[in-house]
Amino acid sequence: MRRILTVDDSASIRQMVSFTLTNAGYEVGEAVDGKDGLEKASQKSFDLIITDLNMPNMDGIEMITAVRKLPGYGFTPILMLTTESQAEKKDAGRKAGATGWIVKPFNAEQLIAVVQKLVK
Amino acid sequence: MSVEVKPEVVGAIEQAERELQALVADSESEIGAVAHGFQELAHDTDEILRLAGEVVGCVEDEKVLSVLPKVRSLGAAARQFVRERLEATEGVLETVTAEAKLLDRLSQLTRGQRSIARETQTLSVLTNIEVARLGQLGAGFQYLAHELDEFSQTVAKSTRELSSHTEERKASVEETKRLLATGLPRIRREFARIESDLVNALAVVDSSQEQLARAPVQFRGCVEEIASQIAGVVAAVQGHDITRQQLEHVQEALLWMAGRIEEEDDADQPQIAAGLAIQLFQLRGIQETVGRWLEQIRCCTGGIERISSSELVKIGPLVLDQERELSAQLARIEALEQECEKDNEEVQGTFAGLSSLMRLVGEHLEKSRYVRDRLQLLTFNSIVEASRLGSQADAILEISQSIKRISVEWAEMTERSAQAKEEILALVEEAKTGMQAFSEDSKEGLTAVRGETSAGLEHLREAAQFAADSAAEIEAATARLQGRLSEVGGARDRLDGCFSRIGTVREVVDGIKRDQEALAPGALERCDRKMAEERFSASYTTEIERHLLRAALYGTPVPEVEQNLAGNDVELF
Repeated sequence: MRRILTVDDSASIRQMVSFTLTNAGYEVGEAVDGKDGLEKASQKSFDLIITDLNMPNMDGIEMITAVRKLPGYGFTPILMLTTESQAEKKDAGRKAGATGWIVKPFNAEQLIAVVQKLVK
Repeated sequence: MSVEVKPEVVGAIEQAERELQALVADSESEIGAVAHGFQELAHDTDEILRLAGEVVGCVEDEKVLSVLPKVRSLGAAARQFVRERLEATEGVLETVTAEAKLLDRLSQLTRGQRSIARETQTLSVLTNIEVARLGQLGAGFQYLAHELDEFSQTVAKSTRELSSHTEERKASVEETKRLLATGLPRIRREFARIESDLVNALAVVDSSQEQLARAPVQFRGCVEEIASQIAGVVAAVQGHDITRQQLEHVQEALLWMAGRIEEEDDADQPQIAAGLAIQLFQLRGIQETVGRWLEQIRCCTGGIERISSSELVKIGPLVLDQERELSAQLARIEALEQECEKDNEEVQGTFAGLSSLMRLVGEHLEKSRYVRDRLQLLTFNSIVEASRLGSQADAILEISQSIKRISVEWAEMTERSAQAKEEILALVEEAKTGMQAFSEDSKEGLTAVRGETSAGLEHLREAAQFAADSAAEIEAATARLQGRLSEVGGARDRLDGCFSRIGTVREVVDGIKRDQEALAPGALERCDRKMAEERFSASYTTEIERHLLRAALYGTPVPEVEQNLAGNDVELF
C-alpha cells in the first residue's frame, strides 16, 4: 500500500486529508508541524507528502528543503496545502522543491486524482 | 489619551483577544467532534451504499430481470390454456349431445328388432301349426319352425341386453351432459378470474418493476449526491482552519494595538485607528465565512440524511411484494392445471364407459348379421319347398313371404344400427382426439412456461430474501446514521454558539474604535495607509484577509465569493 504523509498544525485538516486518502486506499501518516514531518519522513519512507505552509517550529518551505536532502526523497512528490495563494509564495514553494500547490480547502476528488497521478 | 481611559481600553482589548483565543480553543474541540462524527457518518453512509449497491446489483441481475417477460409468457399461456379448455369442453358437450341422439336412434332400432323377434316367435308358432296340419308332408318345415324359435329367443335376449346397456349409457351421457353444462359457466368464470388476476398481477409487477428499474439510476444519483455532500463537509471542515488562522491574525493585531495604547504615543493613533477599522472588517468577514461553512455542514449532513428516506432503502420490501404476488399467481395456475387434469380424467372415464357398450353393439351386430343371413337362407329354402308342395303349402308360403319381409327389415335395421355405431365411434374418437390434443399440447405449453417462470421466480425469491436481509441491515445502518447526524448536528450547533461570540468581540472593538475616534478625531484620515497595510497584512495567509484590509483602508469592494467552499483544484508545477 502506498504511504502518504500529511503535515499540518491543524488537526481537522490532517483528519480530512487522512480521511480522504485512506478511503482512496492509501496509508496515511500524520505530522503536526514541519519539524515533526521531517522526523517522520526520515524514520519511514513515504511515497508522497502533503504539507501546510505556515506552521510553528518549522514551516512547509523549510521542511521541503530539508526533506529533499533526505536519502530517497529527491523525487518524492510534495504538495503544498495552504491558505496562501500568492504567486511569490508559490514560487518559493516551487524553488524549495514542491511538486504542486493546493489552496485550502482542497477538493477531495481532485486531490485523489492528483495523488493517483503522482503515486503510481 | 487620559490616564483613566487607557487601562480600561487596554483591558478591553486584551479581554477581546482572550475571548477570541478561548473561542478558537473551544471551536477546535468542536470541529474535532464534527470531523470525527462526520467520518463515522461517512462510514455508515458507505455501509448503506454498499448494501444498497448489492441489492441493486442483485435486482439488476439478468436472471431476475427476465422474470417479468416470463410472467407475461405464463399469463399468455394460462389464457391460451383456459381458452382451449373451454373450447375442448364445448366440443365434448357437443359430442355427448350428438351421442345422446344416436343412442336414441340405437334404442329405437333395438326396439324395432325386439318387435321383429316377437313377430318371428309368432311365425315359429304358426309354422309349427302348419307342420302339424300337413303331417308327413310338412316334416321338412319342422326345421324352419325350430330355427325361427331359436332366432327369436337369441335376438330377444341380445336386444334386451343391448337395450339395458343403451339405457345405462344414455343415463351416463345425460349425467356427463349435465356436468359439462354446469361446468361450462364455471370455466368461463374461471377464465374471467384468471384474466383479471393476471391483469392485476402484471400491474403490480409492472409497477414494482418500474420502480426497480429506477433503482440503479437512483443508486448512482445517491452515490453521486453522497460523494458531493461528503466532499462538501471535507471542504467545510477545512473552513475552520482558515477561520482559525484569520482569528489568530486579529488576535495578533489586537495585542499590538493594546501595546501601542499602553505606550501613549500620539503618533500611533492613526495606525491604531486603522488597525481597529481593519479588525472590525476582518471580524465581520470571519462571521460571514463561518456562517457559510457552518451552513455547508448543515446542508451536507441534511443531504446525507435524505438517503435514509430514499426509495432505494425500500427496495427490499418491494422485491418481496413482487415475489409474493408472482408466487401466488403461479400457485393459482398450478391449481388450475391440477383441476383440468381431474376434469380430463373424468371425461376420459366417460369415453371409456362407451367402449363396453360399443363392444356389446358390435357383438349384437354380428348376431344380427348372422340372423339376417340365416333368415335369407330360410326364406329361400321355405319358398322353394312351399312352391314344390303347391296349394297344400299356401300357408307355409305365406309364412315364408313374411320371413322374407322380416329378413329385409332386419337387414335394414342391422345396417342402420351399424351406421349409428360407426357414427358414435367417429364422434367419440374425434372428441377424444380433441381432448387429447388439448390435454397434451396445451398442458405441455403451459407446463413449460410455468417451469421457466418457476425457475425465474426462484431467482427472484433469492433476490427478495437477500433484499429483505439487506433491508434489515440498511435499517440498522440508517438508525446509526441518524444517531451520528444528531451528534454532528449537536457539535455544529455548539460551533455556531462558539463563533456567535465573535459578535460580542466586534461590539467591544467597535466601542473601542468609537472611543478612540472621540479621543483622537480624524486619526484614521491622517493614517499612512500603506504603512498600515504592511503592518497588519504581514502575517496574513489568505486572500480574503487582504481584500478585507483593502476594503477597510481604501473602501475597495470585497469580492462576493472569495473562499471557495466547494474545494480548490491542485496546481502542479
